[in-house]
Amino acid sequence: MMHPDLQRGVFLGAVVALMCCGGSAPGRSVASAASPGLAPAAAAAQASGQTPLPNKPDTLHFAVIGDNGNGDKGQYEIGEQMAAWYGRFQFPLVLMMGDNIYGSDRPQDFIKKFETPYKPLLDKGVKFYASLGNHDSREQRYYKGFNMDGKLYYTWKAPKEDVRFFALESAYMDPDQLKWLEDELKKAGEKWKIVFFHHPLYSSSKTHGSQLKLRAVLEPLFIQYGVSLVLNGHDHAYERVLPQNGIHYFVEGSSGQLRIGDLRRPSPLTAFGNDTEQTFMLMEIDGETLTFNTINRKGAVIDSGTITRRK
Amino acid sequence: MRMVTRSAILALTLAGLVADGGVSAQTRAAAPRVNPDAAVIQDFLKRVGGYVALHKKLEAALPNLPAQTTPEVMDAHQRALSKRIQEARKTAKPGEILSPAMQRRIRTLLRPIFSGKDGQQIKAEILDNEYKGSVRLAVNGRYPDEIPISTVPPQVLSALPKLPEALEYRFIQNSLILFDQHAHIIVDFMDRAFIS
Repeated sequence: MMHPDLQRGVFLGAVVALMCCGGSAPGRSVASAASPGLAPAAAAAQASGQTPLPNKPDTLHFAVIGDNGNGDKGQYEIGEQMAAWYGRFQFPLVLMMGDNIYGSDRPQDFIKKFETPYKPLLDKGVKFYASLGNHDSREQRYYKGFNMDGKLYYTWKAPKEDVRFFALESAYMDPDQLKWLEDELKKAGEKWKIVFFHHPLYSSSKTHGSQLKLRAVLEPLFIQYGVSLVLNGHDHAYERVLPQNGIHYFVEGSSGQLRIGDLRRPSPLTAFGNDTEQTFMLMEIDGETLTFNTINRKGAVIDSGTITRRK
Repeated sequence: MRMVTRSAILALTLAGLVADGGVSAQTRAAAPRVNPDAAVIQDFLKRVGGYVALHKKLEAALPNLPAQTTPEVMDAHQRALSKRIQEARKTAKPGEILSPAMQRRIRTLLRPIFSGKDGQQIKAEILDNEYKGSVRLAVNGRYPDEIPISTVPPQVLSALPKLPEALEYRFIQNSLILFDQHAHIIVDFMDRAFIS
């Protein structure tokens, strides 16, 4: 099932999907012509002058989406692009930055706002790991599709590479959760510690912006315990924040919702920002290096780069 | 003169009794000194405990909610629980758990947190710029689907008495609510928790 707006353009959608997954997209043709030896994902990135994902078989691949669950056309288009990219860059897991189901969350909403737009990925066994946003019912933690196992905050070791993820409930950072986080960070022996939650500690968006009070309690823990990467949503834009105290922060809050023109420009925080189109991210960790691509709803890479873990 | 003095003493004693919520002078003299603020919080936690006991009893009668389940099971569980709580508390009124004394205490506890530049930032994070419509709160009412769940900054949570797992403090505009996160209902609320 497609979003009704998309159903009207089903032929166009099919053509776009074919173009992305091995058809004859102009962008891909150009890239392939320029670099015939490259894998398709790398070729697509290189065509736009971006850093390609290495796409090695034994590295950790994952995707990042945020503020996605509105059931609108933009979410469905991002879902289609994620499926298209999966065909050339297989990622077994997706991190969700919250606002997973906007508004009502009756059973039919889970279908419209989650199960249908990501059906191709769910059918392939891709696991989504959610954090909760301010639009999410607390009971979403019991939903099997979000893999929260009934917990508001949780941690798990990635299936590949030396990586541990931590999902937080940033709308209710009580002393118990802070103690849990400190205990878990302290005992985590993995090289990469990646924390994700809804409210951004650093954001240049006008609507919400940086959550300073949350930053006051979380950032010292991130610094002390070697967190390398923090992923957030809430503001409906994409922003790569300049490293803060050696930690890399991204806001990915535009995988469904979008607030055009919301990013402050110029901002002393921003390394790169986009508030004009829906996006999602793909990441690959290979040893000490993480490569990321940020992709828009047309399938083009709009931002990319590599970061090295904190030591 | 003696009569007047005795009357004055009696009046003062009565005034003390009223102010103290009915504790007799004799009891007060015999009991160890109690911080009145602590007593208010203790009373609040007792009321919370009573609610949570009811919640647990009613929830225990429902099929167990698995840690990973379907939206249908989640929805059925939530609505069955809320219905049972609403029936069991159908005479509940605002202020039954957040008593007037506790509301005053909460305002006192939160006043320093909401003051100054830091306080403005905390209010901004709670209000969050997202919902500007009018709201009519009701005890036992379902939390409105159209209103995002507020952030409760850690500084606020650190200042307030800790709640059992089933309950959370949340804000709807500048009203503080006790939110039953399993049943998705407003258990009690107080207006004007801060000046917005």
